[in-house]
This record gives sequence, structure tokens and C-alpha cells, in this order.
Amino acid sequence: MILAIDTSAGTSAAVFDGTKQLSFVNFDDRFGHAENIGLAIQGAFSKAGITPAELTLVAVGRGPAPYTGLRVGVAAGIAMATALGIPACGVITLNAVARKHPVGRILVVADAKRKELFIAGFQDGEQVIPPSVATHQELEDYSSFRQVPGECDASVIGEYLIWAKAQNLDLTDTSALYLRSPDVTPSAGKRVTG
Amino acid sequence: MEIRELQAADLPELMKIETDLFTSEAWKENSFRSEIEGRFTDYFGAFDGELIGYAGLHSVPASFSSDIQTLAVGAAHQSKGLGRTLARKLIAKAFALGSEAVFLEVRADNQSAISLYSSLGFKQIDIRKNYYQDSAIDALVMRLALNQPIVLGIESSCDETGIGIVKGNRLLANALHSSMDEHAKFGGVVPEVAARAHLEALQPTIVQALKDANLSMNQIDAIAVANGPGLAGALMVGIGAAKALALAHNKPIYAVNHLVGHVGADVLENGTVSLPTIALLVSGGHTSLLLVRDLLDDVELLGETIDDAAGEAFDKVARVLGLPYPGGPQIDKLAETGNPKAIRFPRGLSLPKDMEAHRFDFSFSGLKTAVARHVEKAVDNGLELSKADVAASFREAVVDVLLTKAINACEAHGVKKLLLGGGVVANARLRQVAKIRCDEAGIELRIPRFSLCTDNGAMIASIGAQLMMAGRPPSNLGFGAESTLEVTKVQTL
Repeated sequence: MILAIDTSAGTSAAVFDGTKQLSFVNFDDRFGHAENIGLAIQGAFSKAGITPAELTLVAVGRGPAPYTGLRVGVAAGIAMATALGIPACGVITLNAVARKHPVGRILVVADAKRKELFIAGFQDGEQVIPPSVATHQELEDYSSFRQVPGECDASVIGEYLIWAKAQNLDLTDTSALYLRSPDVTPSAGKRVTG
Repeated sequence: MEIRELQAADLPELMKIETDLFTSEAWKENSFRSEIEGRFTDYFGAFDGELIGYAGLHSVPASFSSDIQTLAVGAAHQSKGLGRTLARKLIAKAFALGSEAVFLEVRADNQSAISLYSSLGFKQIDIRKNYYQDSAIDALVMRLALNQPIVLGIESSCDETGIGIVKGNRLLANALHSSMDEHAKFGGVVPEVAARAHLEALQPTIVQALKDANLSMNQIDAIAVANGPGLAGALMVGIGAAKALALAHNKPIYAVNHLVGHVGADVLENGTVSLPTIALLVSGGHTSLLLVRDLLDDVELLGETIDDAAGEAFDKVARVLGLPYPGGPQIDKLAETGNPKAIRFPRGLSLPKDMEAHRFDFSFSGLKTAVARHVEKAVDNGLELSKADVAASFREAVVDVLLTKAINACEAHGVKKLLLGGGVVANARLRQVAKIRCDEAGIELRIPRFSLCTDNGAMIASIGAQLMMAGRPPSNLGFGAESTLEVTKVQTL
């Protein structure tokens, strides 16, 4: 039994039994991650009619995505797995979305805030551009790719996880994928007198 | 019928019942008076127009136990369950005070009392021969075990990831991961750096706390988490984790106030917070003066900084003096060799005109600028600059204004107790002057150990435990981070 959590866009949770999705709960609000994370997980459990003790694995969406919300889901996933003594897996959201488009040359594009985008490129399911940050201008360099909206949720994460497990892909990294350094520079200190 | 705390004015009525029931073994009025007025006692009376029964409890803080001193029901009101109601009232009080056991002595020939206590869960543990000397009757010593709640608390409001575990008023674990070093190159806490560090520290810190307490997650009765005030992005990491921990084993969750947590830390040190008290909380993020009449129900903000926090001022002045972050320990060390009276730096919001609107507020921004001006002037004019004198004089100004206002608050509110909390309490001069001035003013000073003064998870767990012990309902699962949460809101439901 798998619990999938994603807070890359809205806040969602889903429960899978084997390959079958038993439940999916989504809150669309792009700012209410901390408020909704517990309700989403609780809703996913109750809709699936399972108890947390039945879980064998937790999957979290690692982004890339706006950081503040993203961290809520990753924190919840890690804490759930730690509390139950079960493994946690991390899924890169752009990869999970690409999995739904196995044919052709596609560019998964997600909002990165600050007028930038998170992108990743795939050719017939094989990654050809790793997750990276791009401006709208730079997007023109990828005109040979068909653009796919990178919106992700727990259902997409869970489906990817089940597929990736079958391929024996390593998903042990559960860290949030930031792709940007914290936006600060050390201050030199300024004079107070002219 | 109403049950309320007994007062000295109730004594005449009480003595009538006492002498009627216990005749030659009755307590004297003076004994009751000192019991009712005692610091560690709780006496309750049942009233139905008049006093019809009473009961008293004695609990020494940090002993984790209580004693039922007496329990009496007037002759005309017996066998109606009032004895049970009063006993339950005492047990609830003992539980709320953090007691892990309640003891009592009962006459061996008082079958109805023995069966009442037995039905409430008391077990006989000893017998005292001829305890009631007038009648040569034995006393049975009985004990009721109370299971205090085990609470795991999460603190992530700034740069410390704290996971603490308490059982009632008892500290079991206080694991901490600080991201202070990562902020050093920026000269202050960077919210995004702090939030990233929380996420990384989360799992190892939870595991460490459980290991220190020798517990597994399923033995935790409830989760508490600080949901404000603090850095929103940082708080949200703790909240996300806390909600999942609570759901994993279907346990209640309590969203608690970070600042009140600093006051609650004293419970873990002393077994209780002696109330009412003035609390001065000084850190890199807060400088607040509180009047705490009741830890859960009555916390009043008397004043706070209107610009920089005191710890922030230390960091900024350290930078002016070319010292590394965090500034507090650096300035403390340098100041040891300096003259605190060398330069008279301004005391913010301390002029007569400030007393009306800002009597208990603080301002450190002007002080920091004054220090910078002083240093720049000396450097520009090629004058000799004693950094040690600057550090000592600056530190003196901060300590002076903090304690002057704190002690004024004690006096203005007639509260002879001062509790210090927050990271700046590590400052040696602050502790030293606090001791001197409190002694002079006859104020009882409490400073918890340093690991309970700085941000930590145990203080959050402690507030969660206090809420449970007082029988408060848990928070709903939909709460969020509140970066400017008011100190009056101890729990977010």
C-alpha cells in the first residue's frame, strides 16, 4: 500500500494498492499547503478505507516547484515514513509528468515564479534535457520540442512511482529539488554617516 | 451545586463541618488557614447555598506527586456522590499540575471511603499502625498512578530545528539541529536558507529525539508544533511534518505559540511556572515583555521591539566592529576587557515622552546607528578606537534598557517574579545585571538552563502537554503558519 504526496502546485495525496489507485484528494489552493496537507492525507486514507499502519511506502514529489509549498509535502512524506518505519521515495515532478507522454519530443514546462520556468526535455520517454531553470526567452531555443504543461499531483507521482519501481529506478533521494541557490548575497555593510 | 477554590472567608462554615465529622481528631482553624493559603496547596469547596463539602491537595513542584490532605462531606449530604466528585476534582488538579501519582491516608475502619478510593483506581501500598492515636486505628496508605501524556514537540520558527519530547512536566529529550553556521556568511538568518536546513534536519532530529527518550513513535500520545510567530516558510516545514506524524498513529495535534513556549520551558526546569510572572524574551527575532497570569489562558503582551530585536542589534554591531556572526558571543567576549561607561550610548524609548505610548516597548535601531556613527567618526578622523570599549558600552546599553523596563514592568504590575528566555540570555552581562537588580528590588529571578532558553522543541512539547493535562481539545488539522501570531493566542484551534 502506497501513499503519494505532492505539493508542487496544489496540495494532494493519493493511496495506491499495488497498481490500483484507491483514492485521490486534491486542494487546488496554491498557497494553502501547510493548511491542507493534513486534510489531504487524512482524506486519502479515509476515502481508500485504509489505516496508515497498512502503508508499505511513501512517495513524495520533489519538484522542482515553488519552494515554500514544495517543502510542506516533502516534510510530511518524510515524517510519515519515519513515524511508520517504512521507506520514502522521491519523484521528480517533471519526470512524472513526462511519463504520460512516452512518444515524441516533449518539453515539460512548469512555473518557477519570478518570470522563470522549470523545464525538462524528453525524446520518446528518454530524458534529453535534465530539470533546469529557463526564462521565457530561452524557451524559444527549444522550438523543436512539443511543450507539455508540467502541472503535477499525487496521482501522477504515484503512477510514476509504480512504473519506476518496476524498472528498478533508484528513487531513494527525497530531497527537495531547488535548482536555484537561496537568493541572497552577503552584505558588505554600509556606512550610516555620509 | 458549585465547586470553587476555598478562601479564608469560608473557614467558619468549614470548621462547623470539620468539628461535627471528626470531633476530637478535627483540624484546628489555624491549620486550615495555612493550608488554604499555602503556596503548594489547592483546596476546593462544594457549595449548595452553603458549604456542604471540601477537599484539599498538596503538590510540591518537581516532586511529580500530590497528596490528598483531606476530603469531607457534611453529614446531611453524604452518600450522594459528592465525595467522588470532590476526589475527581483533586485528581484532575493533580494531573494538571504534572503529578504522576496521588497519595492519601485513610482510616482502616472507613469502609465507604476505602471503596470510593479503590473505585477511582487507588491501590493500598502500605499500612500505618495506630496512625489515629485517639482511637488506635490504623491508616491505609493508598496510591493512584497517573499517566501523564507523552508529547513530541516540533520547533522550526527560525534557524533551529528542535524536536523535544516531554512526559507531563518531565523532560525526556531535546534534540536540536542549528543552521546558524550556514547563516554566518550572510551576517544574519536568511529565511530560505533556514527553511532548507529544516527540511534536511527533520528526519535525523526526530530519530535522535526518539532515541534520547528511548521511545518509539507509537508511544507518543500527541504532537505539538509551533505555528507562529516566526518565519512562515520555516514554520511550514515543521507544520507539514507534525501533521504527518500525528496522522501516522492517529494522535491529536496541538498548534502552539512559540513565544508562550519560551515561558513554558520553565515548567521543565522547575516543575511549574510560578505565576503570575513577568517574562522577558530576548532573541535574534524577538524582544518581548509579557505578563503571564496563566500559561494557557492569560498571557498579555506588555511591550515588544518596534524595530530590531536585541539579538539582531548584537549581530549588526558585531558587523560594524568587524566581528563574525553571531554577534552576541563575540561582543560578550570583547566587552570583558572594555569599559562599559566609556561611551554613553542611547537607551531607546527611555525618555519621559516615551513613557506614555512605549513604556514597555524597545528600540535598538537607533542604538546600532549610534555605535556605527561612533566607529565611523573615529576611523574618519584617525582617532584611536577601543573596540572593547565600544562593545562593553553597547552591551551595557542593551542590558540596561532590557532590565530597566523588565523591572519597571514587575513593579508596575505588582509582580515580584521575572523569567528570562531566548538566546540572548546566553549573554553573561545580562544574567549578571539581572541578578543584581532583581536582588535589589526583591524580585525572584528565574533563568532556565541555556538549552531550554534558546529555541527548542521541548518547550513546544511542554505547552502541548499543559494543554492536554488541562483537558483542552486538540487543534483542527487545517491550521497554518501565522508569522505574526499574537502572544494572547496560546493555541490555534
